[in-house]
Parts: sequence; structure tokens; C-alpha cells
Amino acid sequence: MLLMHEVHKVNGTKEDDFEAAYRDGWMPMLAAGDDARLLWYTNHAHGSGMSYQVVTVTAARDGAAWGRLVDRIRDGDLQTWMRDLDLLRHEVIGTLQVPLPWSPLQEVDFAAVPVDGREHEPTMYMEDTMWPYEGKLDDYIEACGKVYSRSLQYENPFIAIESAVQPAFGSQTRGEVTLMQRIHKLDQLGRLLGRDIDPALRGPGTWMHDALEVRDQWESKLLRTSIWSPLF
Amino acid sequence: MLFIHETHRVDGRHEDDFEAAYREGWMPTLAKSDDARLLWYANHAHGSGWSYNVVTVTGVSDATAWGKLGERVLHGDLHEWARQLDGLRHDVKGKILVPVHWSPMQEIDLPGVPTDGVEHETSLFMEDTGWPYSSLDDYIQCWYDIYYEPMQRVPADMQLLDIQACFQTAHGSYQRREAILWQKIRDHDRLVGLLSHDFPPEHRRPGSYMYDALEFRDQWESRLLRTSSWSPLY
Repeated sequence: MLLMHEVHKVNGTKEDDFEAAYRDGWMPMLAAGDDARLLWYTNHAHGSGMSYQVVTVTAARDGAAWGRLVDRIRDGDLQTWMRDLDLLRHEVIGTLQVPLPWSPLQEVDFAAVPVDGREHEPTMYMEDTMWPYEGKLDDYIEACGKVYSRSLQYENPFIAIESAVQPAFGSQTRGEVTLMQRIHKLDQLGRLLGRDIDPALRGPGTWMHDALEVRDQWESKLLRTSIWSPLF
Repeated sequence: MLFIHETHRVDGRHEDDFEAAYREGWMPTLAKSDDARLLWYANHAHGSGWSYNVVTVTGVSDATAWGKLGERVLHGDLHEWARQLDGLRHDVKGKILVPVHWSPMQEIDLPGVPTDGVEHETSLFMEDTGWPYSSLDDYIQCWYDIYYEPMQRVPADMQLLDIQACFQTAHGSYQRREAILWQKIRDHDRLVGLLSHDFPPEHRRPGSYMYDALEFRDQWESRLLRTSSWSPLY
């Protein structure tokens, strides 16, 4: 399975049209075939980063399925739709991603992904993108799986990793890892943002301390799903 | 056909080892099957941009072949090679390209690409990457209408550039609104003339490429890339 992760710099005056294009266009058009599905449609929460930034994640069954999608967009039935979408955004940056070996999300049952735009409460995700030190990519992936991921596996967690990925060969930066983490307790998010990290959580033996052996650069995005996002 | 375009920020202390890894590792390993080949290995010419910047382009027959190759790099027999390569570079940034509809280069006979490292004269390419404010489709078409096609009417020995290919990014692999010209420089002296002189006024008036192309874009980047002496294509 491949994930097509796209960061759209949306024209703020067209944000509703942009969202409608995905809800009424992209999602059902993909649903007419078996190659791909829109999984997440999220807004980078205003007040926490770049304005009018939308993050979408589309799953393709495999490389061949993605290749067919590329052809449809380049000169097939999706060319005009994509051209019209470009009028609603300034730019889009894409990354093809593959699941890490320990990612909870390895395959998606396309039949189970909603494609009818059914509404629900929005949910919040913390998307963390890390850039391990040079030569430490594999070490980081292993440590993140064995230490960080397991540290979140307790009952009723504040946050849970739903997907852990790295760029597919040839797409964007090689030394990069991204975690899609659902926030289950918004009150704890407020505390995380508003307080220094407890010294007890920064000492030797903690992830915050020990992970500095493999990386010190990451970026967090707070993403709020739309009320119709297929996954939420 | 897909073209995997990678820009490597090489550790200057290891540039020879990095090049050897491609010549003696990547190129012959891909040669064991028919669905992928290293096509170009090129150095961003010192004095014209970033230091120790290497551009490689690997051709794969289709997206299935790309997927298989990616699996080998991430988890298979090429994983250790890629890991060791990471020790010779600071980072690498990649994008997957497809030829635009009018590109002179559409398909490459992959089994026919040299894989033995045979040496030859180096050649110099001007790689132009443009970011339009027009629609991407219109930009790609303008490159044919007001750049490529008129240039074909100029005698080859009068041309500065041999436009060998034009690419756009395969959707989802990188920035969408971007296109690339892959141009071999025919005459180095003429290049120096281009670099060292202002454009004459007649080349900046309506009807000239420099003027008319502003309808589609004003941002691009040129990189002068010199192929290695063993680069399969050059």
C-alpha cells in the first residue's frame, strides 16, 4: 500500500470550494474504482501554524494503482478536475509514503472506507514529522517503534499512533519519518501546550531524553479532520 | 516510463566514494534486470551553485517496477547499500518525473543503456526547473509553442541547447506545479557568452521568448550539470 500525503496551500477565499471539490469530486471519483481511496481530509488548525493549509491522505493499493492515477491526472479523465483544483490553491506538495514495519496501519480495507460524506464530529490529530541525524534513520525507526510507540500503548491514552510512515523511494526527503497520531484527550493537549515538560519526563531513560541520540529536529502539525473525512 | 530524479547533498570528504557507490553498486545492480537503469550521473558544476551536489536520474519501466525497486531499497537487498550511501551524503531529495506530452524523450530502451562504466568525454547539461503562475498545462504547452518548436527551426550548429526531454512531476511525489527542461549544452563558448552578457533588447520585446514567457511564469532555476566520465547517458 502507498499513501499519497499532500499539503495544500489553499486560496483562503476559496476554501469552501476546495473542500467541496474533495468531498464531491475526489472522494467519489476514486470510489468508482478499486485503485485508491481518500482517507483523511484535515485542516491545519488556525492558530497553530500556516493559514489555510489542508492536509489530505489518499491511499493507493500499490505502485501500479498509483501509476494509473498519475496517468489519469496527467492526460486522462482527471486532468481537467485537477486543473480546476489548481485554481483553488496556491500550490500542493506531495509525498508518497509507505508504512513502517511496526505501523498499526499496514493495509486499508477499501470496502470499509466511507465514500458517502457521512458527517461526524471533527477529531484532532498531531502529525509529527521527524528528520533523524545523518546515518540514524534505521536506528530512529527501530527506537520509535520499540520505545515511543509502546509507551503510548496503555488503556485510555492521551494520544495514539494510527499510522507511521516514511517516504517511498524517490519521493521527497529520504531521511524522514511521519507519525499520524490521534488525540483522544483534548484537555491534555491544552496542558501539553501550556506547560513546560515535567523534568521527570526529560531525564535519562525517558523518550524525550534518549531520543536525542537519534534526532532533535521534528515538526508537529495540529490537524482537525473535516466533519466528513472518511477516517477520523 | 518513470524517471527518478534525485539531488544528493554529498559529504565533500567522501565524493569519490559516493561516485564509486553508484558506478560499482547501483548501476551494475540495476543491470541484472531489464526494468530499471541508472541513466545520468551528474555533478552540479562547482562555481555555478551548491557545492558537492550530485544529480542522478534512474529510469524505471513503469510504476510497478518503481514499487519493486523501492521495496528493495527500503527492506530488501539494496537496503544495506542505501544505508551505507547515507554515510556518504548529508541528505537526498527525490521526485518522480514523467515526460510531458511533447517531450522528445518518451521511452528509453532500458536494456540498451550502457552499464559497464565505459568512459567518455563529459558533457554539460542545463537543467531548468520552472514554477508557473499560469496553469501547469498551459505552461507545458507554452514551452512547446514558444521555445521548443521555434528552436527546432534553427540549424543545429547555431543552437546553444539540445532540448532532450521535458518532464513534469508524477502526481503526489513532489510539488505539483513544476516542470523541467533537460537540455544538453552544445557549445560551451556560447554558454559563456550567454552568462556574461545582458540580453539584447530585441530578445526582450513582445514576440521574443523572454518576453512572452512572462505570461506564464517568472520563477525558474537553472542548474549546470556536468555528467561524470562514465555516466550511462551523456
